[in-house]
Amino acid sequence: MNKIYDYLIIGAGPAGMAGAIEASKAALSVLVLDQASSAGGQIYRNLGQTKPQQAFVLGNDYLAGRPLLAEFMAANCDYKPQAQVWHIETHEQGFIVSALINGESTTYVASHLLLAHGAMERPMAIPGWHKPGVMTAGAGQILLKSSGLLPKEVILAGSGPLLLLLAQQYRAGGVTIKALLDTTPKANYWRALPWLVAGLTTPKQLIKGLWLTLAQRIKVPYITGVSDLQITGEHSACGVRYTVAGTVHNIACEVIMLHQGLISETQMGQLLGCSQRWSDVKQCWHTQVGAAGQTSVAKIQVAGDAGAVGGGYVAQLQGRIAGLTRAHNAGKIQTRQSKVRLIWLKLRVKQLNWAQGLVERLYQPAKWLSKPSGCTIVCRCEQVSAATITSIASAGCAGVNQLKGFTRAGMGPCQGRQCGLNMGYLVANAQNRPMSKVQPLSVRPPLSPISLGQLAKGTDW
Amino acid sequence: MTDSLFSCLIENPLQCTVVVNNVEHQVPAQLSVAGALLYLGHRQVRQHSVSGEARAPFCHMGVCFECLVTINKGQQQRACLQQVMPNMRIDTVTKELTQ
Repeated sequence: MNKIYDYLIIGAGPAGMAGAIEASKAALSVLVLDQASSAGGQIYRNLGQTKPQQAFVLGNDYLAGRPLLAEFMAANCDYKPQAQVWHIETHEQGFIVSALINGESTTYVASHLLLAHGAMERPMAIPGWHKPGVMTAGAGQILLKSSGLLPKEVILAGSGPLLLLLAQQYRAGGVTIKALLDTTPKANYWRALPWLVAGLTTPKQLIKGLWLTLAQRIKVPYITGVSDLQITGEHSACGVRYTVAGTVHNIACEVIMLHQGLISETQMGQLLGCSQRWSDVKQCWHTQVGAAGQTSVAKIQVAGDAGAVGGGYVAQLQGRIAGLTRAHNAGKIQTRQSKVRLIWLKLRVKQLNWAQGLVERLYQPAKWLSKPSGCTIVCRCEQVSAATITSIASAGCAGVNQLKGFTRAGMGPCQGRQCGLNMGYLVANAQNRPMSKVQPLSVRPPLSPISLGQLAKGTDW
Repeated sequence: MTDSLFSCLIENPLQCTVVVNNVEHQVPAQLSVAGALLYLGHRQVRQHSVSGEARAPFCHMGVCFECLVTINKGQQQRACLQQVMPNMRIDTVTKELTQ
């Protein structure tokens, strides 16, 4: 029989690392499984191996992850990189977690789980987004962090802080930014204005954000009020076409990076039966998470962007809260000092999440971007167009899960991660239903593809 | 393969030999497989199994499965999740298994 861990953490980003640090300090046996080859998550990807030139371009916020990373690497916990969790089963002693490591399926048993697998980028289904040359802004930043690669010239399009940060980093790296096409609807500025009060509670971040926005507006060809964005080029991207105030423009460029914010990854929570909630503000589904990271299922906690997108710092605090709470509940720490610390951490997260309300409203995705139409590909894996999905939704299809059966949308290897949200929007639009009433795609194991050979190699029956 | 749209900002990086579609190349050792393909000027890494259209790495974080290539004879590997290794064999996919 396998060793039974007290705490199994999925993901080694800021939330997972912090959770592991706190729980292992309290002498719990901790195992961290992470998909990447080194710890840090996407925000601190490759931080441990970063070269000086990369550090210069990526900036201080990236390097600020170093103490956390060092603390994690020194923590007394088991850590498995390049471990792709493909299934979790409930078991009388807790959970059996199956992960693919080095081409072999391995199982681990744990009494408690912390899901800290982070977020993904909101799919931006515009015409031609599936063509070579188009990638996400997050992808651009990961290429820079992990490989030190920069595009020679690029168009950045969409909205959100990451797009602005990437523009800043690319400028520092000498990349020619041919245009930054901002799709943020003008109405968002008015909607966000009252939330400036919330933003003022974190003045440092507010000033940083304003500075980042202003600097890009001055230093790159910054075009606001962009709509009807599409990728031009037949087999691969040759440029973009867009509309500003009724006038159509074209810009040529072979690398285009899209971004419209982040959404929580919900697949693991859904698989485990944790209840899900639609957020109108965040415009995405997320697992319902309490102040101590608890979910609707006993012994499962969620921390960081996996529960609700709040950024790296909030994720770290939530990870600490989750780990400390686990240690308290296990009776490993009972000091007054740690109880006070826990209360303080929770208050700080509350405040930061409130301040986050400003960013959420300011960068809410444009409505036209959630209504792909015509031959725009919605499901990239199975090549299903928006028109196909809309016609079936209009014919009275019961929801996205039935739509999947009719069209194969959501059946490909990404398992609906890239198309699920837009399928939901199209059903909601066609049937005049609120998104909260259109159930998300159901999740089944395996969470990521695994071959029979890999499965057989790891069995010990 | 054409001129690369990407360049590496690291000066004098440690080099690593990889074999892409039976041709040996030197690439910076810190690259991911997907990064190496972009660096070497591959605009596309596979043909879509349904439409036959060209596809290239999209999310670089293991979500989208657009960068599936053959690595050391293992088929359908996500190129974005693996770092290049000395003498790694990488084959881009021009004809999918399902055909």
